[in-house]
Amino acid sequence: MRPATPASGTSGTGGTSGPERAEGSTGPRESTEAIAVSTETSGVDLVGDEVARNLARAALFAALTGAFAYVSFPNPLSPAPITLQVLGVFLAGILLGPAWGGASMALYLLAGAVGVPVFAGGAAGIGVLVGTTAGYLWSYPIAAALIGALVHGGSELRDPGEAGSIRLVGAMVAGVAVIYGLGVLGIALVNDVGLVAAFLAGAAAFVPAEAFKIAAAVGIVRSDRFAAS
Amino acid sequence: MSLAYEPGTTFVHRLDPRSKLAAQIAFAVTAFAHTTPRGLAVLTGLTLAVLRAARLPAGRALWEIRFLVVLVAVPAAIEGLVLGPPWVSIADLRGPALASYRVVLIVLVSAAYVRTTPIRDSEAAIRWMVPGKPGRLASVGVALVVRFLPVLRADLAAIRRAMAARLGTERPLVDRIRIVAVGGLSRAFGRADRLALAMNARCFSWNPTLPVLRFSRVDIPAFCLAAGLLVWAAL
Repeated sequence: MRPATPASGTSGTGGTSGPERAEGSTGPRESTEAIAVSTETSGVDLVGDEVARNLARAALFAALTGAFAYVSFPNPLSPAPITLQVLGVFLAGILLGPAWGGASMALYLLAGAVGVPVFAGGAAGIGVLVGTTAGYLWSYPIAAALIGALVHGGSELRDPGEAGSIRLVGAMVAGVAVIYGLGVLGIALVNDVGLVAAFLAGAAAFVPAEAFKIAAAVGIVRSDRFAAS
Repeated sequence: MSLAYEPGTTFVHRLDPRSKLAAQIAFAVTAFAHTTPRGLAVLTGLTLAVLRAARLPAGRALWEIRFLVVLVAVPAAIEGLVLGPPWVSIADLRGPALASYRVVLIVLVSAAYVRTTPIRDSEAAIRWMVPGKPGRLASVGVALVVRFLPVLRADLAAIRRAMAARLGTERPLVDRIRIVAVGGLSRAFGRADRLALAMNARCFSWNPTLPVLRFSRVDIPAFCLAAGLLVWAAL
């Protein structure tokens, strides 16, 4: 424990890995000791500003997509309420670009897999990733990367506010096609039903509402409340 | 779903997260390989045993995943539907019903994992599974999602309350979506930039110290279970 270790190095930045430290100490609680204090700082390999910023944005975007799952609006076209998760996918691709947008959605899946309640209905766990909604979930990173690539015209990031409306809408329509295509395929495979039944259950009631989200996304990108960089 | 980690002292709580992940994956593979009444009967028994070992009552677990159960049932119900009497075709329903039931079992088993594994342990397992910088980014990213999900949910709820107070609920749907999303985004980006600055200020590094994962004797049965299931799946 703490008092057993010389108090000289209390930076706690963790220069060495656990097992290496554990071998050097003799007490029965060597692992706790190794975590609590490290006296070496020379091995610290700092993460660059740019990567840290992009990681923070990707993680916050993944959390926002999860939070969007809890926001529902009544749907004027069908009894299924509108949730904003897919809007999170659109915006991840448009605002973060193909690489970090895709990474952000991959983080979303990983967080859900290890138990953070980010999936529809507040669900979590590996089981959901092979369940009925598996096709939709796995399509999110692909769709975000595709939308990002189409909006930014490659991996170089540009200001999405300057992209034409046709380009934005076209990219999102392509994203919707990927999400629902893989989603319906997922239902057909996982639930062992035909494509027609899968489409009726998984897409027919939801696809029309995507038009609202696409329209809202264009408005969001054009919004002057935050100049995306 | 309010199913989240709850501290406890059960056998399942004491397992290493890696053996729990292995058992879950083996369970899912087996459920897909043996989607027969007999296979699923065996797996149902196993699921109940796992839930019991994790002290998670089956009824409560089912209630927590009720939303998913509905989603799982709808495609099978549509597939079994026949236009005209007798309206339901048992022959068409059989395959989809078995397939849907297997999904419920898989989700129940992963609910036991969620209930008994702190996210910090899962992070350490991710770090162990994905080596190098991608693993570091993934484990930090998951940690940030865990911490910021409740904050961003509260942000969105506050925006919606403010909107309702100003009769924003009377606006057209697209406007409402846009207002909620713009507010949520600008707050999320603000938080992300402050967070990145704070991480840099605190020497955010590629090589931090995480809890040391150790397999112990209690992991042996979990590994035997995973291996047994995989052998059965391959048969």
